Amino acid sequence: MEDLNRKQTDADHREDNQEVIKGNPDNLFYNYNRELFYSFDKSKGFTKKVDYQYTANQTIIKQQWDLAEVRLNEVKRLVIAGKRSPIAYYMEKKLMDVPILAAYMNHSTWKIRWHLTRTGFKWMKQETLEHYAEIFEISPGELKKPSFLTNFSEN
Amino acid sequence: MIKLEFEHRQAGHCENGVTSNLLNYHGFKISEPVVFGIGAGLFFSYLPFLKMQHAPTTSFRVWPGKIFERATKVLGITTGVHHFRNPKDSMDMLDQILIKGLPVGLQVGTYHLTFFPPEYRMHYNMHNLVIYGKENDHYFVSDTLMEFPVTISYPDLMRVRFSKGIFAPKGRMYFPVHVPKQVDLKPLIIKGIRDTANNMVGIPFPLIGVRGIRYLAGRMRNWPRHLGDEKASYYLGQVLRMEEEIGTAGAGFRFIYGAFLAEAAEILQQDWIREISVEMGENANKWREFSYLGSRNCKKRGKPEQSYEFLAGMLLECADREEKIFRKLIKIK
Repeated sequence: MEDLNRKQTDADHREDNQEVIKGNPDNLFYNYNRELFYSFDKSKGFTKKVDYQYTANQTIIKQQWDLAEVRLNEVKRLVIAGKRSPIAYYMEKKLMDVPILAAYMNHSTWKIRWHLTRTGFKWMKQETLEHYAEIFEISPGELKKPSFLTNFSEN
Repeated sequence: MIKLEFEHRQAGHCENGVTSNLLNYHGFKISEPVVFGIGAGLFFSYLPFLKMQHAPTTSFRVWPGKIFERATKVLGITTGVHHFRNPKDSMDMLDQILIKGLPVGLQVGTYHLTFFPPEYRMHYNMHNLVIYGKENDHYFVSDTLMEFPVTISYPDLMRVRFSKGIFAPKGRMYFPVHVPKQVDLKPLIIKGIRDTANNMVGIPFPLIGVRGIRYLAGRMRNWPRHLGDEKASYYLGQVLRMEEEIGTAGAGFRFIYGAFLAEAAEILQQDWIREISVEMGENANKWREFSYLGSRNCKKRGKPEQSYEFLAGMLLECADREEKIFRKLIKIK
């Protein structure tokens, strides 16, 4: 069983790396930079190779970005429904979570959580809003009324 | 304008690479695996209570900064290590040290790193790079992940040096000041191996070392039942990302460590270590196989033999192999 499985893995590996071996980096998701990899073979010992990430590895990197997008869409839906504030959307867009945003804002985490609610957002000071906008690299106006919110009202 | 004659060499892991390149600049030839070995960098820990990118943290190495610290300490190298509160101060200090003719290692966050591959730009604060020159408002950067040397502007560099979050760098900079010409590597290698072996099999705590791998395997079996398929797949992906992605050179440093053992066998002239390096290489290949099968699972092309049950079994096998290896290595003299 184990031998059978090993053969299958080798075949999969070859299939995955065909694109790289053929030297066609267009087929990869990410072809920005080549990295150094070590490998081991009983006859050759340890060897080094500079190459793009294997397709198998690129799949798991892509998984993370796909899920980040899914989370972003979910938050966007909640913001449009009026359940969360635009800060929640931009926090997710910048791949942050509450502790990281708290560290950048120099606030406590509960205060950030309060600002994620719509009421907390409404009661927020103008300076705080500008500070948020600076961290998210957008204008305060855009943060107050994001362009994707057509029917967002102050009340 | 300052531009030191710094040789840019790519490396599997940022911290080893930076340490090895810095020492190389000072005329002390040492390879990346040896730095990793004498710095006792190999480790395993699974910390379910510490969430990173919405999933539990799995780490295949020691605390960031530890490898440089330990390696330079045992080699008897005088170093300067500085933290800062004020970003402006940190940049002034960097300029002063460059004028003295010393390249400087920095700890940075990767999210705002402009030259970095886009797919790696996350809030990850444990990246290391070397600054070896300055022209007007641009610094010359040697990043071991990148194929070629790059540049970065003053405000961007200041920003990445003061990124926030877990393990925030706080402008950390480090550089060797005085490097001895000749060092006897034998006792250092023995100490490094013994420390690593002790970390892996000697600590009676369930989340770290070989016990940590077994604990992870036990948890992995229950993931689909406890978390549902989607989240389980994401958790598995996180383990694989920590194993294969940024700067582990594959298989969670097991390849680098095997290469170190092969070099150590030559330096110490002990043949049994060469045999163990072969075992380590096979173990590393097993880890890589685990990651291939796991990634198939993440792709949702799963076959029965790529289920969590099967993958957990593979992890247990890796744990057994590693226990065997380190039980032998701990007796090194």
